[in-house]
Amino acid sequence: MSKIKIRINRKNYELSVEPDLLLVDLLRDQISLTGTKKGCEIGECGACTVIMNGKAVNSCLVLAVQSDGAEITTIEGVADNGDLHPIQKAFLEHDAVHCGFCTPGMVLSAINLLNHKPNPTEFEIREAIAGNLCRCTGYQQIVEAIQSVVNKTNQSSR
Amino acid sequence: MQYHKPKNNFEVTELLNTFKNDAQIFAGGTDILVEARYNKKNLKENWIDISGISGLKQIKEIKKQISIGPMVTHSEIIRNDMIKQHAPLLAEACRVIGSLQIRNRGTIGGNICNASPCADSIPALVVLDTQLVIDSSSGEQVLPISDFFIKPYMTILKPGRWLKEIRIMKMKAENKFAFLKLSRRNALAISRMNFAVILQIAWDNTIESVQFAPGSIFPIWRRVTKAEEFMLGKRISMELFQEAGKIVADSMIKESGRRWSTPYKEPVVAALTARVLAKAAGLD
Repeated sequence: MSKIKIRINRKNYELSVEPDLLLVDLLRDQISLTGTKKGCEIGECGACTVIMNGKAVNSCLVLAVQSDGAEITTIEGVADNGDLHPIQKAFLEHDAVHCGFCTPGMVLSAINLLNHKPNPTEFEIREAIAGNLCRCTGYQQIVEAIQSVVNKTNQSSR
Repeated sequence: MQYHKPKNNFEVTELLNTFKNDAQIFAGGTDILVEARYNKKNLKENWIDISGISGLKQIKEIKKQISIGPMVTHSEIIRNDMIKQHAPLLAEACRVIGSLQIRNRGTIGGNICNASPCADSIPALVVLDTQLVIDSSSGEQVLPISDFFIKPYMTILKPGRWLKEIRIMKMKAENKFAFLKLSRRNALAISRMNFAVILQIAWDNTIESVQFAPGSIFPIWRRVTKAEEFMLGKRISMELFQEAGKIVADSMIKESGRRWSTPYKEPVVAALTARVLAKAAGLD
């Protein structure tokens, strides 16, 4: 067992973890943050995407011990006091949620993109969510939802 | 499984020597953790995580070369100004790897040492005349990347040895280059084949120098000197590049024999070789 200190959704944790525990299992089983989904478990579907130290990563391809000292945002941490994040609102408005399984990862990839690049092109949006598979094939609505947030931000900053 | 996190290069070598055959380096984890899910038996008991050593995450300029630490991620390579300026071909190759999430974790050292035939960075590294620095208790060894691979998924690394540094030759400002990947779809797809080329074109549109290397075509990575020599001194044209493509396809058949996949691979290799050369030369 190794001791790790980790900050998840602005809250500090000190935990003991087995060396082969994956970050996704730490989040889901030890902290009960089940919003992070387990899909393929081999880094192909992106359902387990979280933001780790400012970067989108597949939490199924990170060992829990490697997250020692890291700052992590999961889907549970993006709303502000019950107020949905603009990306979450846009997903609802644009019917970008179908079965919902890809949604947490998709939302985090979108937020991570806007954190780094507030004004992305459509190509950049598609590139940023290329690691998140949606098997309901609703990509068009997802791209439109993200674009609507970009456009709103631009209008309000004018 | 035992997890070890050394703090410096010396400790890495020491751990490798302690556990010998039962140790493996853990870099970004994007290959090992996939393997861990499918074939636990293939994995070693002791994982040596080298992500805690800051010296292995640096990109530095050393005269005509750029030194890249094995723990530099694909995302870091794509964004790095020195690479953008002096080795844009490598940035282009790293851009098509996996997805953003994979590129944020996967490392250049891991891509080399895993030696998967579809590794996208390796053909680019081969044409960039890359040297690898191997560390061990008996000292450093520097060797060209073309001497590093034995066969797919197998390198010359023996127990106790590890990849400490990657040195690529800077491209010239006037070099033309291109990278091409053939896969079933754009994102998250494993390369079927890939191609990297650097061209130097003279004022009269003749080829002054050319470095060309494909991936997944030959048993291991190498430049196709026969095709390179054929093109030297000749004027760039689509016909020339198509001829070069045929030479590459012929060399493939000569080395690997005719297989069930040859009726597909032969024309595709020839066409894609011509395409990547044309792309580099600006003829496409």
